[in-house]
Amino acid sequence: MSSINGSDIKKVVVACDAGMGSSVLLTSQMSKSLSPHGVAVEHASVDRIPDDADLVLCHSGLVSRARSAQPGTVVIGFQMFLGDPAFARVEQAVREGETIAD
Amino acid sequence: MARPQSPSGSAADTSAQSPPPNRLQSARAAVQRFGGYLSGMVMPNIGAFIAWGLITALFIPDGWFPNETLAQLVDPMIGTLLPLLIGYTGGRLVYEQRGAVVGAVATIGVVVGSDVPMFLGAMIIGPLAAYLTKLLDKVARPRIHAGFEMLYNNFSAGILGGAMAVVGLFGIGPVVQTITEVLGSGVQALIDLQLLPLVSFIVEPAKVLFLNNAINHGVFAPLGAARVSETGQAIEFLIETNPGPGLGVLLACMLFGPKVSRSTAPGAIVIHFLGGIHEIYFPYILAQPKLIVAAIAGGITGVTTFMLLGAGTVSTPSPGSIIALMAVTPRGGHLSVLAGVAAATIVSFIVASLLLGFGRPERNKEKAQRSNAEAQQ
Repeated sequence: MSSINGSDIKKVVVACDAGMGSSVLLTSQMSKSLSPHGVAVEHASVDRIPDDADLVLCHSGLVSRARSAQPGTVVIGFQMFLGDPAFARVEQAVREGETIAD
Repeated sequence: MARPQSPSGSAADTSAQSPPPNRLQSARAAVQRFGGYLSGMVMPNIGAFIAWGLITALFIPDGWFPNETLAQLVDPMIGTLLPLLIGYTGGRLVYEQRGAVVGAVATIGVVVGSDVPMFLGAMIIGPLAAYLTKLLDKVARPRIHAGFEMLYNNFSAGILGGAMAVVGLFGIGPVVQTITEVLGSGVQALIDLQLLPLVSFIVEPAKVLFLNNAINHGVFAPLGAARVSETGQAIEFLIETNPGPGLGVLLACMLFGPKVSRSTAPGAIVIHFLGGIHEIYFPYILAQPKLIVAAIAGGITGVTTFMLLGAGTVSTPSPGSIIALMAVTPRGGHLSVLAGVAAATIVSFIVASLLLGFGRPERNKEKAQRSNAEAQQ
């Protein structure tokens, strides 16, 4: 269980199995809403999440792999690729500077 | 940086902690990770597969523009270039650039003297050679005299890579060739017995558990490549990549699913069918696991249709978009591929619609909610 304050988030990494398909799709969506707040959004394979990631987003089926790749980093899981409340939660945390925990 | 929470552990902390993953979940994660490793060697090189697939489709004798000179590109690309890229990438996954170089050198050992495209061999020897380099460095590097680092680095990689190429040529290559041929004839036997559609019972559920890349790139790509080099096209490439089963499920969710599904499914259909990102439909099945029956039924229908019509593609369509499928279909095979996709879509849609009760349960639920809300007002 980790948590981070939205204002400390500088880099969000969206992870999927290969880091080339669904994560890229979500990266372009998330960066639209997060880049105005100075947050970089990148995509990666869930086994090779970069060390400087402040927050990781991945499908709930992959969360345990993400946690073992980057223990101590906040990993937020989502169910749906479109319109999942997890995306709104991350956006709100960044926008309002709220604490977000996994 | 994320700060780990203080270890003082108040009651609230412990109650919020997620339960420890059970054995099934950790087994699933382990299989996913292994599969991720396999697909991690193949997927970064898909561009090269597509280049090879297009050249093959265009310039081979029964291609669109037969050209003897350009067709010379076909064999070296699949026999040498693609396995080397896989071995290189596999080495890099284990031990960065240094592992990549040793992995590629070792891979040439299994490539030379093999009659089948050595994808499996490259997936084994590339990472293995890189791992041995890593071990050697761990032992030897602390003992290297100052000033001799570069000499050690270059020659250890060269000697180890060269030795692994010899091991590959005499040891691993023949073994893997036999394995590839046995697996290939196993698939052929399934086709001969008309049992190939049964693989959908494994493939479709495994896909939804995010093993899609592992299955397609780890299993079907090597088998398909071996068949393509013999017969010019392979049905293996179509089994996992057929967008039909997922499309049928999404269409059913768009018309008859819960309210959330109905609003997001149209976007998901575009991303799935045209963009080829199959992951997008997995959550719809995970949310309502009974829908997996529809995907399996669609998969069986698709594979049966492909099998009966003799459909196949020259390379793995990646991503599994209808556009990619059409691009790697050999000349004259488009109708049979389209027929398999369409049949899979229709069957999956019908089964999924039945499972969703044509939306009746959802309509009743929403009606009940509405009348509840009105009653409370």
